[in-house]
Amino acid sequence: MNEYVKIFLSSMLIDNVVFIQFLALCPFIGMTTDVQKANGMGVATSFVMVLATAVTYPLYNFILLPLGLEFLQTLTFILVIASLVQLVEFYLKKSAPALYSSMGVYLALITTNCAILAVTLNCISKSYSFTESIVYSLGSAAGFIIAMVLMAGIRDRIRLAKIPAFVKGTPVLFVAAGLLSMAFAGFSGLIK
Amino acid sequence: MTVILYTLAVSASLALILGFLLGFFKKIFFVETDPTVAKIRESLPGANCGGCGYPGCDGFAQAVAAGEAPATGCTAGGRETAEKVCAVMGVAGNIVETVAVLACQGSKDHAVPKGFYSGVQTCRAAKLSTNSIKMCAWACQGLGDCVAVCRFDALHMGDDGLPHVDEEKCTGCGMCITECPQNLLVHFNKTDKGAFARCNNRNPNKPQILKGCKVGCIKCGKCEKACQVDAIHLVNGIPVVDYEKCNSCGDCVAACPTNVLYLR
Repeated sequence: MNEYVKIFLSSMLIDNVVFIQFLALCPFIGMTTDVQKANGMGVATSFVMVLATAVTYPLYNFILLPLGLEFLQTLTFILVIASLVQLVEFYLKKSAPALYSSMGVYLALITTNCAILAVTLNCISKSYSFTESIVYSLGSAAGFIIAMVLMAGIRDRIRLAKIPAFVKGTPVLFVAAGLLSMAFAGFSGLIK
Repeated sequence: MTVILYTLAVSASLALILGFLLGFFKKIFFVETDPTVAKIRESLPGANCGGCGYPGCDGFAQAVAAGEAPATGCTAGGRETAEKVCAVMGVAGNIVETVAVLACQGSKDHAVPKGFYSGVQTCRAAKLSTNSIKMCAWACQGLGDCVAVCRFDALHMGDDGLPHVDEEKCTGCGMCITECPQNLLVHFNKTDKGAFARCNNRNPNKPQILKGCKVGCIKCGKCEKACQVDAIHLVNGIPVVDYEKCNSCGDCVAACPTNVLYLR
Protein backbone atom coordinates (compact mmCIF):
# COMPACT_ATOMS: atom_id res chain seq x y z
CA MET A 1 0.00 0.00 0.00
CA ASN A 2 2.80 2.35 0.98
CA GLU A 3 4.44 1.71 -2.38
CA TYR A 4 1.30 2.79 -4.25
CA VAL A 5 1.00 6.03 -2.29
CA LYS A 6 4.63 6.72 -3.11
CA ILE A 7 4.09 6.15 -6.84
CA PHE A 8 0.93 8.23 -6.85
CA LEU A 9 2.49 11.19 -5.05
CA SER A 10 5.70 11.13 -7.03
CA SER A 11 3.90 11.00 -10.38
CA MET A 12 1.50 13.74 -9.34
CA LEU A 13 3.88 16.24 -7.73
CA ILE A 14 7.54 15.29 -8.06
CA ASP A 15 7.41 14.13 -11.68
CA ASN A 16 4.51 16.34 -12.73
CA VAL A 17 3.87 15.74 -16.45
CA VAL A 18 3.64 19.40 -17.30
CA PHE A 19 5.95 21.21 -14.91
CA ILE A 20 8.80 18.74 -14.52
CA GLN A 21 8.62 16.56 -17.65
CA PHE A 22 7.46 19.46 -19.91
CA LEU A 23 4.95 17.32 -21.76
CA ALA A 24 1.53 18.27 -23.12
CA LEU A 25 2.41 21.94 -23.36
CA CYS A 26 -0.06 22.50 -26.23
CA PRO A 27 -3.23 21.83 -24.22
CA PHE A 28 -1.52 23.51 -21.27
CA ILE A 29 -1.26 26.78 -23.21
CA GLY A 30 -4.16 26.34 -25.59
CA MET A 31 -6.96 25.07 -23.38
CA THR A 32 -6.44 27.09 -20.20
CA THR A 33 -8.34 30.22 -21.22
CA ASP A 34 -10.85 29.61 -18.43
CA VAL A 35 -11.05 27.29 -15.45
CA GLN A 36 -14.06 25.33 -16.70
CA LYS A 37 -12.45 24.57 -20.06
CA ALA A 38 -9.19 23.58 -18.37
CA ASN A 39 -11.08 21.28 -16.04
CA GLY A 40 -12.94 19.64 -18.94
CA MET A 41 -9.74 19.05 -20.84
CA GLY A 42 -8.00 17.77 -17.69
CA VAL A 43 -10.75 15.27 -16.86
CA ALA A 44 -11.02 14.03 -20.46
CA THR A 45 -7.26 13.58 -20.71
CA SER A 46 -7.07 11.75 -17.38
CA PHE A 47 -9.82 9.41 -18.46
CA VAL A 48 -8.00 8.50 -21.67
CA MET A 49 -4.66 8.31 -19.84
CA VAL A 50 -5.85 5.65 -17.39
CA LEU A 51 -7.71 3.73 -20.10
CA ALA A 52 -4.70 3.80 -22.43
CA THR A 53 -2.41 2.48 -19.71
CA ALA A 54 -4.86 -0.32 -18.92
CA VAL A 55 -4.88 -1.40 -22.58
CA THR A 56 -1.25 -0.87 -23.60
CA TYR A 57 0.25 -2.63 -20.57
CA PRO A 58 -1.14 -6.10 -21.43
CA LEU A 59 -0.50 -5.47 -25.12
CA TYR A 60 3.19 -4.91 -24.42
CA ASN A 61 3.67 -7.64 -21.82
CA PHE A 62 1.63 -10.41 -23.43
CA ILE A 63 2.15 -9.78 -27.15
CA LEU A 64 5.16 -7.59 -27.92
CA LEU A 65 7.50 -8.84 -25.20
CA PRO A 66 7.16 -12.63 -25.83
CA LEU A 67 7.66 -12.07 -29.59
CA GLY A 68 10.70 -9.85 -29.00
CA LEU A 69 9.08 -6.85 -30.67
CA GLU A 70 9.83 -4.20 -28.01
CA PHE A 71 10.84 -1.74 -30.71
CA LEU A 72 7.25 -1.69 -31.98
CA GLN A 73 5.92 -0.14 -28.78
CA THR A 74 5.67 3.48 -30.01
CA LEU A 75 3.88 2.50 -33.21
CA THR A 76 1.38 0.13 -31.60
CA PHE A 77 0.72 2.41 -28.62
CA ILE A 78 -0.12 5.37 -30.85
CA LEU A 79 -2.40 3.14 -32.90
CA VAL A 80 -4.15 1.77 -29.84
CA ILE A 81 -4.55 5.17 -28.16
CA ALA A 82 -5.96 6.77 -31.30
CA SER A 83 -8.55 4.07 -31.87
CA LEU A 84 -9.37 3.96 -28.17
CA VAL A 85 -10.18 7.65 -28.20
CA GLN A 86 -12.38 7.11 -31.24
CA LEU A 87 -14.24 4.28 -29.49
CA VAL A 88 -14.81 6.38 -26.40
CA GLU A 89 -16.07 9.19 -28.61
CA PHE A 90 -18.62 6.91 -30.32
CA TYR A 91 -19.76 5.54 -27.00
CA LEU A 92 -20.18 8.98 -25.40
CA LYS A 93 -22.01 10.34 -28.43
CA LYS A 94 -24.63 7.62 -28.10
CA SER A 95 -24.98 7.11 -24.38
CA ALA A 96 -24.12 10.49 -22.86
CA PRO A 97 -24.75 13.30 -25.37
CA ALA A 98 -24.47 15.99 -22.68
CA LEU A 99 -21.05 14.73 -21.59
CA TYR A 100 -20.06 14.37 -25.25
CA SER A 101 -20.90 17.96 -26.11
CA SER A 102 -18.84 19.20 -23.17
CA MET A 103 -15.94 16.77 -23.58
CA GLY A 104 -16.23 15.74 -27.25
CA VAL A 105 -14.22 18.58 -28.71
CA TYR A 106 -11.31 17.82 -26.41
CA LEU A 107 -11.32 14.08 -27.09
CA ALA A 108 -10.14 14.49 -30.68
CA LEU A 109 -7.29 16.68 -29.44
CA ILE A 110 -6.24 14.06 -26.92
CA THR A 111 -5.62 11.45 -29.63
CA THR A 112 -2.07 12.62 -30.21
CA ASN A 113 -1.42 14.13 -26.79
CA CYS A 114 2.20 13.41 -25.91
CA ALA A 115 1.51 13.12 -22.17
CA ILE A 116 -0.60 10.02 -22.72
CA LEU A 117 2.02 8.29 -24.86
CA ALA A 118 4.69 9.29 -22.34
CA VAL A 119 2.77 7.82 -19.41
CA THR A 120 2.22 4.51 -21.21
CA LEU A 121 5.88 4.34 -22.24
CA ASN A 122 7.08 5.33 -18.76
CA CYS A 123 5.11 2.48 -17.19
CA ILE A 124 7.02 0.07 -19.43
CA SER A 125 10.45 1.61 -18.94
CA LYS A 126 10.01 1.74 -15.15
CA SER A 127 8.98 -1.98 -15.28
CA TYR A 128 5.91 -1.46 -13.10
CA SER A 129 3.34 -4.17 -12.42
CA PHE A 130 -0.18 -3.71 -13.78
CA THR A 131 -1.60 -2.14 -10.58
CA GLU A 132 1.46 0.07 -10.22
CA SER A 133 0.99 1.24 -13.82
CA ILE A 134 -2.63 2.16 -13.15
CA VAL A 135 -1.67 4.04 -9.99
CA TYR A 136 1.11 5.80 -11.89
CA SER A 137 -1.28 6.91 -14.65
CA LEU A 138 -3.85 8.04 -12.07
CA GLY A 139 -1.18 10.14 -10.37
CA SER A 140 0.01 11.63 -13.66
CA ALA A 141 -3.60 12.43 -14.56
CA ALA A 142 -4.14 14.17 -11.23
CA GLY A 143 -0.92 16.12 -11.81
CA PHE A 144 -2.14 17.16 -15.26
CA ILE A 145 -5.48 18.41 -13.89
CA ILE A 146 -3.64 20.35 -11.16
CA ALA A 147 -1.38 21.96 -13.77
CA MET A 148 -4.29 22.89 -16.05
CA VAL A 149 -6.43 24.39 -13.29
CA LEU A 150 -3.47 26.26 -11.76
CA MET A 151 -2.63 27.78 -15.12
CA ALA A 152 -6.25 28.74 -15.80
CA GLY A 153 -6.36 30.51 -12.43
CA ILE A 154 -3.15 32.36 -13.20
CA ARG A 155 -4.47 33.39 -16.60
CA ASP A 156 -7.51 34.92 -14.91
CA ARG A 157 -5.11 37.19 -13.03
CA ILE A 158 -2.90 37.84 -16.05
CA ARG A 159 -5.91 39.07 -18.00
CA LEU A 160 -6.38 41.95 -15.56
CA ALA A 161 -2.71 42.76 -15.05
CA LYS A 162 -0.69 45.36 -16.88
CA ILE A 163 1.84 43.46 -18.97
CA PRO A 164 4.72 44.99 -20.96
CA ALA A 165 4.00 44.87 -24.69
CA PHE A 166 6.99 42.67 -25.54
CA VAL A 167 5.78 39.71 -23.45
CA LYS A 168 2.06 40.15 -24.04
CA GLY A 169 0.16 37.01 -25.03
CA THR A 170 1.88 33.62 -25.05
CA PRO A 171 5.36 34.72 -23.80
CA VAL A 172 4.06 35.81 -20.42
CA LEU A 173 2.30 32.45 -20.07
CA PHE A 174 5.58 30.64 -20.53
CA VAL A 175 7.23 32.91 -17.96
CA ALA A 176 4.44 32.07 -15.51
CA ALA A 177 4.77 28.37 -16.37
CA GLY A 178 8.51 28.57 -15.70
CA LEU A 179 7.96 30.10 -12.27
CA LEU A 180 5.32 27.46 -11.47
CA SER A 181 7.69 24.74 -12.57
CA MET A 182 10.36 26.12 -10.23
CA ALA A 183 7.83 25.92 -7.42
CA PHE A 184 7.10 22.31 -8.33
CA ALA A 185 10.82 21.53 -8.31
CA GLY A 186 10.58 22.18 -4.55
CA PHE A 187 8.63 18.92 -4.18
CA SER A 188 11.65 16.87 -5.25
CA GLY A 189 12.68 16.17 -1.63
CA LEU A 190 9.21 14.99 -0.62
CA ILE A 191 9.93 11.26 -1.02
CA LYS A 192 13.35 9.75 -0.52
CA MET B 1 13.86 -12.77 -40.87
CA THR B 2 11.37 -14.06 -38.35
CA VAL B 3 11.45 -10.67 -36.61
CA ILE B 4 10.36 -8.92 -39.78
CA LEU B 5 7.58 -11.45 -40.28
CA TYR B 6 6.42 -11.07 -36.68
CA THR B 7 6.49 -7.29 -37.01
CA LEU B 8 4.41 -7.43 -40.14
CA ALA B 9 1.99 -9.94 -38.64
CA VAL B 10 1.53 -8.07 -35.36
CA SER B 11 1.09 -4.61 -36.84
CA ALA B 12 -1.16 -5.83 -39.66
CA SER B 13 -3.39 -7.87 -37.37
CA LEU B 14 -3.55 -5.06 -34.81
CA ALA B 15 -4.53 -2.54 -37.47
CA LEU B 16 -7.12 -4.96 -38.87
CA ILE B 17 -8.65 -5.76 -35.47
CA LEU B 18 -8.81 -2.08 -34.51
CA GLY B 19 -10.25 -1.16 -37.90
CA PHE B 20 -12.99 -3.77 -37.62
CA LEU B 21 -13.70 -2.78 -34.02
CA LEU B 22 -14.08 0.87 -34.99
CA GLY B 23 -16.37 0.07 -37.90
CA PHE B 24 -18.41 -2.26 -35.73
CA PHE B 25 -18.78 0.21 -32.89
CA LYS B 26 -19.68 3.00 -35.28
CA LYS B 27 -22.64 0.86 -36.40
CA ILE B 28 -23.68 0.03 -32.83
CA PHE B 29 -23.38 3.56 -31.53
CA PHE B 30 -24.82 5.23 -34.60
CA VAL B 31 -26.71 8.38 -33.72
CA GLU B 32 -29.40 9.63 -36.04
CA THR B 33 -29.04 13.32 -36.69
CA ASP B 34 -31.52 15.66 -38.29
CA PRO B 35 -30.24 16.43 -41.81
CA THR B 36 -31.79 19.89 -41.69
CA VAL B 37 -29.48 20.79 -38.78
CA ALA B 38 -26.45 20.12 -40.95
CA LYS B 39 -27.98 22.07 -43.84
CA ILE B 40 -28.75 25.08 -41.66
CA ARG B 41 -25.29 24.89 -40.09
CA GLU B 42 -23.72 25.01 -43.57
CA SER B 43 -25.45 28.27 -44.45
CA LEU B 44 -24.42 30.00 -41.21
CA PRO B 45 -21.28 32.17 -41.11
CA GLY B 46 -19.62 29.98 -38.46
CA ALA B 47 -18.20 32.82 -36.39
CA ASN B 48 -19.80 31.45 -33.18
CA CYS B 49 -20.40 35.04 -32.10
CA GLY B 50 -23.40 34.26 -29.92
CA GLY B 51 -25.34 37.24 -31.23
CA CYS B 52 -28.41 35.05 -31.68
CA GLY B 53 -28.47 34.12 -28.00
CA TYR B 54 -27.51 30.46 -28.55
CA PRO B 55 -24.14 28.85 -27.76
CA GLY B 56 -22.49 29.13 -31.16
CA CYS B 57 -23.69 28.36 -34.66
CA ASP B 58 -24.30 24.67 -33.86
CA GLY B 59 -26.65 25.56 -31.02
CA PHE B 60 -28.52 28.01 -33.22
CA ALA B 61 -28.85 25.47 -36.06
CA GLN B 62 -30.36 22.93 -33.66
CA ALA B 63 -32.74 25.50 -32.21
CA VAL B 64 -33.93 26.54 -35.67
CA ALA B 65 -34.46 22.93 -36.73
CA ALA B 66 -36.43 22.31 -33.53
CA GLY B 67 -38.56 25.37 -34.24
CA GLU B 68 -37.39 27.22 -31.12
CA ALA B 69 -35.48 29.98 -32.88
CA PRO B 70 -36.66 32.09 -35.80
CA ALA B 71 -35.05 31.32 -39.17
CA THR B 72 -33.97 34.95 -39.41
CA GLY B 73 -32.32 34.86 -35.95
CA CYS B 74 -28.75 35.07 -37.27
CA THR B 75 -28.13 38.81 -37.32
CA ALA B 76 -24.44 38.40 -38.07
CA GLY B 77 -25.02 36.63 -41.38
CA GLY B 78 -27.30 39.34 -42.71
CA ARG B 79 -29.78 38.96 -45.53
CA GLU B 80 -27.90 36.28 -47.45
CA THR B 81 -27.74 33.86 -44.51
CA ALA B 82 -31.33 34.52 -43.50
CA GLU B 83 -32.53 33.75 -47.02
CA LYS B 84 -30.57 30.51 -47.11
CA VAL B 85 -31.89 29.37 -43.71
CA CYS B 86 -35.43 30.34 -44.70
CA ALA B 87 -35.06 28.29 -47.89
CA VAL B 88 -33.95 25.24 -45.87
CA MET B 89 -36.81 25.63 -43.40
CA GLY B 90 -39.32 26.49 -46.13
CA VAL B 91 -40.55 29.66 -44.46
CA ALA B 92 -40.72 33.26 -45.60
CA GLY B 93 -38.52 35.63 -43.64
CA ASN B 94 -38.12 39.36 -43.46
CA ILE B 95 -34.78 40.45 -42.01
CA VAL B 96 -33.65 43.94 -41.14
CA GLU B 97 -29.91 44.43 -41.46
CA THR B 98 -28.39 46.62 -38.80
CA VAL B 99 -25.02 48.05 -37.83
CA ALA B 100 -23.78 49.21 -34.44
CA VAL B 101 -23.49 52.98 -34.00
CA LEU B 102 -21.81 54.81 -31.12
CA ALA B 103 -24.03 57.41 -29.46
CA CYS B 104 -21.23 59.44 -27.85
CA GLN B 105 -18.72 62.06 -28.96
CA GLY B 106 -16.76 62.10 -25.70
CA SER B 107 -13.33 61.88 -27.31
CA LYS B 108 -10.11 63.02 -25.64
CA ASP B 109 -10.59 66.56 -27.01
CA HIS B 110 -14.25 66.88 -26.05
CA ALA B 111 -14.86 65.12 -22.76
CA VAL B 112 -13.04 66.15 -19.58
CA PRO B 113 -11.60 63.28 -17.51
CA LYS B 114 -12.36 63.12 -13.79
CA GLY B 115 -8.76 62.34 -12.98
CA PHE B 116 -6.07 59.85 -13.89
CA TYR B 117 -7.46 56.30 -13.98
CA SER B 118 -4.87 53.58 -13.48
CA GLY B 119 -7.08 50.67 -12.44
CA VAL B 120 -8.02 47.55 -14.37
CA GLN B 121 -8.10 48.57 -18.02
CA THR B 122 -11.63 47.51 -18.96
CA CYS B 123 -14.69 49.72 -19.35
CA ARG B 124 -16.71 47.53 -17.00
CA ALA B 125 -14.16 47.76 -14.20
CA ALA B 126 -13.83 51.52 -14.71
CA LYS B 127 -17.60 51.93 -14.60
CA LEU B 128 -17.90 49.80 -11.46
CA SER B 129 -15.14 51.51 -9.52
CA THR B 130 -15.53 55.15 -10.56
CA ASN B 131 -19.03 55.29 -12.12
CA SER B 132 -17.31 57.05 -15.03
CA ILE B 133 -13.70 58.04 -15.60
CA LYS B 134 -14.92 61.18 -17.35
CA MET B 135 -16.88 64.09 -15.88
CA CYS B 136 -19.91 62.96 -17.87
CA ALA B 137 -21.39 59.88 -16.16
CA TRP B 138 -22.83 58.66 -19.48
CA ALA B 139 -19.63 59.02 -21.53
CA CYS B 140 -17.76 56.33 -23.44
CA GLN B 141 -15.04 55.01 -21.15
CA GLY B 142 -12.78 54.45 -24.12
CA LEU B 143 -11.07 51.29 -22.77
CA GLY B 144 -12.26 49.10 -25.61
CA ASP B 145 -14.50 46.37 -24.14
CA CYS B 146 -16.50 46.56 -27.38
CA VAL B 147 -13.35 46.24 -29.50
CA ALA B 148 -12.24 43.16 -27.57
CA VAL B 149 -15.57 41.41 -27.97
CA CYS B 150 -15.97 42.02 -31.74
CA ARG B 151 -15.50 38.82 -33.76
CA PHE B 152 -15.62 40.52 -37.13
CA ASP B 153 -12.75 43.03 -36.80
CA ALA B 154 -15.31 45.80 -37.28
CA LEU B 155 -14.47 47.90 -34.22
CA HIS B 156 -11.20 49.76 -33.73
CA MET B 157 -10.03 52.19 -31.11
CA GLY B 158 -9.33 55.53 -32.78
CA ASP B 159 -6.63 58.04 -31.82
CA ASP B 160 -9.38 60.20 -30.33
CA GLY B 161 -10.09 57.56 -27.64
CA LEU B 162 -13.40 56.42 -29.07
CA PRO B 163 -14.22 53.12 -30.81
CA HIS B 164 -14.92 53.48 -34.53
CA VAL B 165 -17.30 51.10 -36.30
CA ASP B 166 -16.27 49.85 -39.72
CA GLU B 167 -19.75 49.66 -41.20
CA GLU B 168 -18.57 47.55 -44.14
CA LYS B 169 -17.48 44.80 -41.74
CA CYS B 170 -20.10 45.27 -39.00
CA THR B 171 -22.71 42.53 -39.15
CA GLY B 172 -25.02 43.89 -36.47
CA CYS B 173 -24.55 40.80 -34.28
CA GLY B 174 -24.97 42.97 -31.19
CA MET B 175 -22.12 41.59 -29.07
CA CYS B 176 -20.62 45.05 -28.51
CA ILE B 177 -24.07 46.44 -27.74
CA THR B 178 -24.58 44.03 -24.86
CA GLU B 179 -20.95 44.42 -23.72
CA CYS B 180 -20.94 48.24 -23.37
CA PRO B 181 -21.54 49.11 -19.69
CA GLN B 182 -22.82 52.56 -20.71
CA ASN B 183 -25.25 51.21 -23.36
CA LEU B 184 -23.76 53.66 -25.85
CA LEU B 185 -23.78 51.38 -28.88
CA VAL B 186 -27.15 50.97 -30.57
CA HIS B 187 -28.54 49.01 -33.50
CA PHE B 188 -29.09 51.20 -36.55
CA ASN B 189 -31.09 49.88 -39.49
CA LYS B 190 -29.06 49.96 -42.68
CA THR B 191 -32.10 51.08 -44.65
CA ASP B 192 -32.83 54.06 -42.38
CA LYS B 193 -31.60 57.51 -43.34
CA GLY B 194 -31.76 60.69 -41.34
CA ALA B 195 -30.46 62.55 -38.31
CA PHE B 196 -28.84 60.71 -35.40
CA ALA B 197 -27.98 62.08 -31.93
CA ARG B 198 -24.47 61.20 -30.73
CA CYS B 199 -25.10 61.73 -27.03
CA ASN B 200 -26.63 59.72 -24.23
CA ASN B 201 -26.42 62.28 -21.41
CA ARG B 202 -29.62 62.27 -19.31
CA ASN B 203 -28.53 65.12 -17.01
CA PRO B 204 -31.00 68.05 -17.23
CA ASN B 205 -28.47 70.53 -15.78
CA LYS B 206 -26.96 72.48 -18.71
CA PRO B 207 -23.88 74.02 -16.97
CA GLN B 208 -22.96 70.60 -15.59
CA ILE B 209 -23.20 69.02 -19.03
CA LEU B 210 -21.01 71.67 -20.66
CA LYS B 211 -18.45 71.43 -17.85
CA GLY B 212 -17.94 67.76 -18.65
CA CYS B 213 -18.30 67.76 -22.42
CA LYS B 214 -18.31 70.46 -25.08
CA VAL B 215 -20.47 68.47 -27.44
CA GLY B 216 -23.14 67.09 -25.09
CA CYS B 217 -26.86 67.47 -25.64
CA ILE B 218 -28.08 70.40 -23.50
CA LYS B 219 -31.82 69.59 -23.91
CA CYS B 220 -32.54 72.97 -25.52
CA GLY B 221 -35.16 71.49 -27.86
CA LYS B 222 -34.05 73.57 -30.85
CA CYS B 223 -34.01 70.47 -33.04
CA GLU B 224 -37.62 69.76 -32.19
CA LYS B 225 -38.63 73.29 -33.21
CA ALA B 226 -36.50 73.26 -36.36
CA CYS B 227 -38.02 70.04 -37.69
CA GLN B 228 -40.70 70.73 -40.29
CA VAL B 229 -41.98 67.16 -40.54
CA ASP B 230 -42.36 66.49 -36.79
CA ALA B 231 -39.80 63.65 -36.93
CA ILE B 232 -37.57 64.52 -33.97
CA HIS B 233 -38.58 64.56 -30.29
CA LEU B 234 -36.77 64.70 -26.98
CA VAL B 235 -37.33 61.39 -25.19
CA ASN B 236 -35.89 61.32 -21.66
CA GLY B 237 -33.71 64.28 -22.63
CA ILE B 238 -32.24 62.83 -25.82
CA PRO B 239 -33.42 63.62 -29.37
CA VAL B 240 -34.97 60.53 -30.93
CA VAL B 241 -35.66 60.49 -34.66
CA ASP B 242 -38.60 58.82 -36.34
CA TYR B 243 -37.00 57.55 -39.57
CA GLU B 244 -40.39 56.99 -41.21
CA LYS B 245 -40.90 60.74 -41.19
CA CYS B 246 -37.34 62.11 -41.40
CA ASN B 247 -36.45 63.42 -44.87
CA SER B 248 -32.77 64.19 -44.16
CA CYS B 249 -33.27 67.93 -44.70
CA GLY B 250 -30.60 68.80 -42.13
CA ASP B 251 -32.53 71.59 -40.38
CA CYS B 252 -32.06 70.02 -36.93
CA VAL B 253 -28.35 69.49 -37.55
CA ALA B 254 -27.98 73.17 -38.41
CA ALA B 255 -30.04 74.22 -35.40
CA CYS B 256 -28.11 72.15 -32.80
CA PRO B 257 -25.87 74.54 -30.79
CA THR B 258 -23.53 71.78 -29.54
CA ASN B 259 -23.23 69.76 -32.74
CA VAL B 260 -24.79 66.60 -31.32
CA LEU B 261 -26.80 65.63 -34.39
CA TYR B 262 -25.47 64.48 -37.72
CA LEU B 263 -27.00 63.09 -40.89
CA ARG B 264 -26.35 59.49 -41.88
